[in-house]
Amino acid sequence: MGAGSLIALMIAAIAFSGIAILISKIVLKSTTNKQKGEPYECGLPTKGPSWIQFNVGYYLFALIFLIFDVELIFLYPWAVVVKGIGWIALVEIMIFLFILFMGFLYAHKKGALKWQ
Amino acid sequence: MSTSEILFWFLSVLALFSAVMVLVSKNPVHSVLWLIVVFFSISGHYLLLNAQFLAIVNIIVYAGAIMVLFLFVIMLMNLNRESEPQKNVWMKLFGVISGGLLLTIFVSAFRSSADIFDKTAQLNDGDVGLIKNLGKVLFDQYAFPFEISSVLFLSAMVGAVVIGKKE
Amino acid sequence: MNAIILSAIWAVIMMLGSFMVKRKGNFRHIAAFGLLVLFVANIADTYGYSLFNFNNHGFLQFTRFGYLFNSIAIFSSLIYVLITGKEISRYGNHTAEYFALIFFVMCGVSMLAFYNNLLTLFLGIEIMTIPLYILTGSDKRNMKSNEAALKYFLMGSFSTGIMLMGIVFSYGGTGTFSLDVSRAGIPNLYNHVASFLEIVGLLLLLVSLAFKVSAAPFHFWTPDVYDGAPSVFTSFMATIVKAAGFIAFIKLCLVRMTATSAAIDWKMIFAIIIIATLLVGNITAVFQQSVKRMLAYSSIAQAGFMLFSLFSVNDFAKEGILLYSAAYSLATIGIFAVLVKMKDYTFEGYNGLAKKQPLLAATNTVFLLSLAGIPLTAGFFAKYYMLAAVVKTGSYLWLVIVAVLFAAVSVYYYFRVIQAMYFKDGNAETEAITPSFKAGLLLVAALIILIGVYPGIILNWLYF
Repeated sequence: MGAGSLIALMIAAIAFSGIAILISKIVLKSTTNKQKGEPYECGLPTKGPSWIQFNVGYYLFALIFLIFDVELIFLYPWAVVVKGIGWIALVEIMIFLFILFMGFLYAHKKGALKWQ
Repeated sequence: MSTSEILFWFLSVLALFSAVMVLVSKNPVHSVLWLIVVFFSISGHYLLLNAQFLAIVNIIVYAGAIMVLFLFVIMLMNLNRESEPQKNVWMKLFGVISGGLLLTIFVSAFRSSADIFDKTAQLNDGDVGLIKNLGKVLFDQYAFPFEISSVLFLSAMVGAVVIGKKE
Repeated sequence: MNAIILSAIWAVIMMLGSFMVKRKGNFRHIAAFGLLVLFVANIADTYGYSLFNFNNHGFLQFTRFGYLFNSIAIFSSLIYVLITGKEISRYGNHTAEYFALIFFVMCGVSMLAFYNNLLTLFLGIEIMTIPLYILTGSDKRNMKSNEAALKYFLMGSFSTGIMLMGIVFSYGGTGTFSLDVSRAGIPNLYNHVASFLEIVGLLLLLVSLAFKVSAAPFHFWTPDVYDGAPSVFTSFMATIVKAAGFIAFIKLCLVRMTATSAAIDWKMIFAIIIIATLLVGNITAVFQQSVKRMLAYSSIAQAGFMLFSLFSVNDFAKEGILLYSAAYSLATIGIFAVLVKMKDYTFEGYNGLAKKQPLLAATNTVFLLSLAGIPLTAGFFAKYYMLAAVVKTGSYLWLVIVAVLFAAVSVYYYFRVIQAMYFKDGNAETEAITPSFKAGLLLVAALIILIGVYPGIILNWLYF
């Protein structure tokens, strides 16, 4: 079975929660009022339009995050095979991490990680 | 039809449908959300091919990080219906023609390769995509491109700081 | 191998230097020294003294051709930094980073000189172009520069996407990323040569590489990007990077397209691209009012000539492309070095330059003559080798005639600049010219004439 069962599980999970919502939709009489639309323990009500121009600073953070995200992804296969391949794999990942650490050092020193 | 086949068709239809929805949605944020559905269904395909690592990477990097970037870009550009540029009819026509030509070539390429026609991919039992096999190849045979890709990341990072930082 | 790793290391040094070195003026000295180190290391590598020896599993192939091209590219960038390095510090306070990005580009260029695998081709192209998007947009307050960067980035990403698609199709058809394919055992051959999937893949690769070298009909980004980018970086993009694109292209042609030439008529495809490129580049350049924009179109026209090496993939073409990249890079770097010193980029801005700055005008004339392909300059032999290569193939001889006609057209717009400098009265305003700048220009002009008189000075390196 393998992957098939995993997907079957995922679909079952989606279906389970989906059916629960569906039943409550059918059984309950829906009412709408203003209070119901407000966020509950999920932050403050918005003021003004929410479609505003974002600060470019978010983008910088997201990009640096993305690069380290991809870097971390490579660590998974490394962790699995490092024992089998031996010290050469250790050297390889050290070089890789060192090069990206230089990038981190640069971004940090340049103040790119500081909110402005 | 076996479970795998049912899943395959389900995921394929879902992927194609949501890909079309990405294109036809008027609201760019909706397009991005549909794109997430595309990525998830593609990840489902990867799972069917027993490529777990690829499936997880697809979800973490694409559906996670890159979608966030997409949303930021859309918010940064502040797109809304009024500022959408008018598209030329000729432009659309030529777009359809050239896209159709490309599709024709792709279809004929696959049709002429009769060996891959009428055969489905290795489902469930292929082990190329397992993390262990991937790691073995990546840190041995593909070590050089792997290291060089870090240089690529580094240059992208310097670029992001240079462009994004206020003077 | 030396050049790839050392350029990456030097890029990191420049990055760290950006917050460790306080004086802005020092960066270009560090960069020039770094390029000198690269140059020496690459020559040492050519003769077998490699600092880094490890098994790269066939991802790279170290040939004399690649080494020589790499030496030419590094030498041109050294000249570029020496002459115009000062101008780089004009744009914002990221001078060190700009040099770091230039070193990243050099890393990509070296990868392209040595690649032997479609995966390394992709990585090389990406490492080369991503820093360029940044350099194009480095003049942040200038809307034109921003627009150029965005255009270049969007179009460049699409072409990279097409390239990836091509690599995927090619993989589907051959089952390997390596350039050398053992064609026995590939199922379903088309004309007994190659799988149709591979041919579709190669066509897509051709489209994306033609985009990178700005060959028509994939040239539309070139004028806007070259015009919008800061002139210093246009100079870099139009010379070293473009030449590296051609080297990548010719390697692909030499291996993959030669092997599949029985299945598809690559020569005809290239002939169409060449004619279109020469036509668009030359005819549009005639009508330009700005020298910078004229140079952008002329770089398309020059790309048309360089495409001849892809058309006739033989030894002449290999020698010719090396000579052409040296001649074209040196001349264009020189012209742009003069251009960035001018206050006004239109043809009128050059009026009367000969009276005010005789040396600048004289060296600029040498550069322009070289681009036009006048004898005794490097450009003549470069064009000669290209056309001789076509004659050697023995087919499509009419291409040679068309090329000569277009070369004659190109003389018109190059001479317009010379005419403005010498025969028109005006008050050409320049910025302060230092003696070292003049010495640099003289050196480049001398090199161009030296190569023009004795082209063996470069080509002999290919053999011993």
